[in-house]
Amino acid sequence: MAEICCEEAKSTPATAVAAASVSATAAAAAAVAVASSALERRRRRLEMRRFRVAGDPEAPVAEDVRAAKRQRLARTLSSTCPDAGSGSGSDSDRPALPERLPRYGVTSVCGRRREMEDTVSVRPDFVPGTSKQHFFGVFDGHGCSHVATMCQNMMHEVVADEHRKADCSGEETAWKAVMERSFARLDEQAASWATSRSRDEPSCRCEQQKPLRCDHVGSTAVVAVVSPTHVVVANAGDSRAVLSRAGVPVPLSVDHKPDRPDELARIKAAGGRVIYWDGARVLGVLAMSRAIGDGYLKPFVSSEPEVTVTERTDDDECLILASDGLWDVVTNEMACEVVRACFHSNGPPAPAARANGAALRAAENGSAAAKGVSVEDSDKACSDAAMLLAKLALARRSADNVSVVVVDLRRGI
Amino acid sequence: MPYAATRTSPQQHSRVASNGRAVAACAGHAGVPDEVARHHEHAVAAGQCCSVMVQSIAAPADAVWSLVRRFDQPQGYKRFIRSCHLVDGDGVEVGSVRELLVVSGLPAENSRERLEIRDDERRVISFRILGGDHRLANYRSVTTVHEAASEGGPLTMVVESYVVDVPPGNTVEETRIFVDTIVRCNLQSLEDTVIRQQAMAAPAAPHNDHNHS
Repeated sequence: MAEICCEEAKSTPATAVAAASVSATAAAAAAVAVASSALERRRRRLEMRRFRVAGDPEAPVAEDVRAAKRQRLARTLSSTCPDAGSGSGSDSDRPALPERLPRYGVTSVCGRRREMEDTVSVRPDFVPGTSKQHFFGVFDGHGCSHVATMCQNMMHEVVADEHRKADCSGEETAWKAVMERSFARLDEQAASWATSRSRDEPSCRCEQQKPLRCDHVGSTAVVAVVSPTHVVVANAGDSRAVLSRAGVPVPLSVDHKPDRPDELARIKAAGGRVIYWDGARVLGVLAMSRAIGDGYLKPFVSSEPEVTVTERTDDDECLILASDGLWDVVTNEMACEVVRACFHSNGPPAPAARANGAALRAAENGSAAAKGVSVEDSDKACSDAAMLLAKLALARRSADNVSVVVVDLRRGI
Repeated sequence: MPYAATRTSPQQHSRVASNGRAVAACAGHAGVPDEVARHHEHAVAAGQCCSVMVQSIAAPADAVWSLVRRFDQPQGYKRFIRSCHLVDGDGVEVGSVRELLVVSGLPAENSRERLEIRDDERRVISFRILGGDHRLANYRSVTTVHEAASEGGPLTMVVESYVVDVPPGNTVEETRIFVDTIVRCNLQSLEDTVIRQQAMAAPAAPHNDHNHS
């Protein structure tokens, strides 16, 4: 697929994973930077507001053949998880609201792609016997949808299982091993068509052919485990996780593009080639260097995730997980700005208001694209942010499915 | 260094890959009958490249050919094809034209292709790419299916060769790597599909019509 060419659209991935914590000096510098760009942010907010009231993206230009393909919002799902009813605030050190369940919003949009091959998985309290660990995953399938669907259905269970086996204490090295084993297990499952398709899912195209192996299908996987103290991210492929900290985007993953220097070196060392064929591609075929599945491109396309463990701070605002349908046309900075604007316009979440029926928001078109998402009381700010980001991507002519998860990380509210 | 072709005379392909491994030989020495080997002798013009792939399949030649011969249903074993519909002809006669939609993730969207040869007696099929959203210009492919000598049951050899323009900005080697990867994946899928069909047909009556188009 042609790369979307757009100034400022594509955020350059950081050459190194962000440090686990921001130093005091860096934080101060960030504060100054935020203040000095107040006018810029005001201008952007105005742009955001104009865009919001404009509603659907304007019709594509007729001359652009690719863009002229009819837009499809075949499956648009936007919903949020309710915050649990607040218990008594007996512990004075604890935030005002218990963090038992996270506040989040999810949107998954088919967009201009002919088929929906993204999936999203949200699993609050997903580790049995352990509380306050929440799983979020975005999986962008290619070749077919069933590998992304398998990841949606199984990844959280596998991570929980590996977490239990490791008796994970939260140490960075332990989480790295948990995630690497989990991704490897899913990768093995992807190679076997029989086990990669779950019974209750609508059949995918491959089912008709019933191949012994299904080597030509794969999926990205960007996964986050959010606890009260840390955010763990594991990524394989070109979906992405970004933290917004005091208004500054902190990448928690680095896209696996085949021409990333270290990926290029790894592929060459393994005897593979990166060929520029409508962009950098492994053997000229696949535009990412890591993925779950894609057996025919092993060992060049690896399923080994890059894992980051980031300590949470009071400056953290939100976590954004999204497929490249968003990141190809929206920078990290713009995405964080959109979420900030939604948080600002919605004000702090009020537990009492969520009980109000007026805040109720139903899922659209069932839960085919996203699973684990509660359709009860909504966190409006996160929901608005996710939806707005997806609409922005469509307006900027993203040529792909767009899936966005926004998690509210603010404390003391 | 940009590709600068200096060859001015047609030349035959010079490389055969057997089940993914490269062997220095022409198809004529790969156990292919002479009468069929000529189909794999492509005239390679300046700025073009060619390649040959060979896949052995432990199944009867008729079972393999029943899949390979379907110009109207290549997605029966070619996994990168999402759908196919005929836009001219019936898919049986030479000159039929099909339009393919390609699955996501590949550097292609669709392809329009013409049936050049279909010989059920000699098991030869050939198609030419007429156009579409991809970078393979003047692509012509030939696939032949042959019974191979074997002591342990039926064995079939499938030979697929092609010739194609080297796209601007790419080298001969890069073009071969790209196309060979796709063709190899298709031939592997062909083997998987035939073996599975044979396994499903085994308990039933022999010569099950389900295996034939």
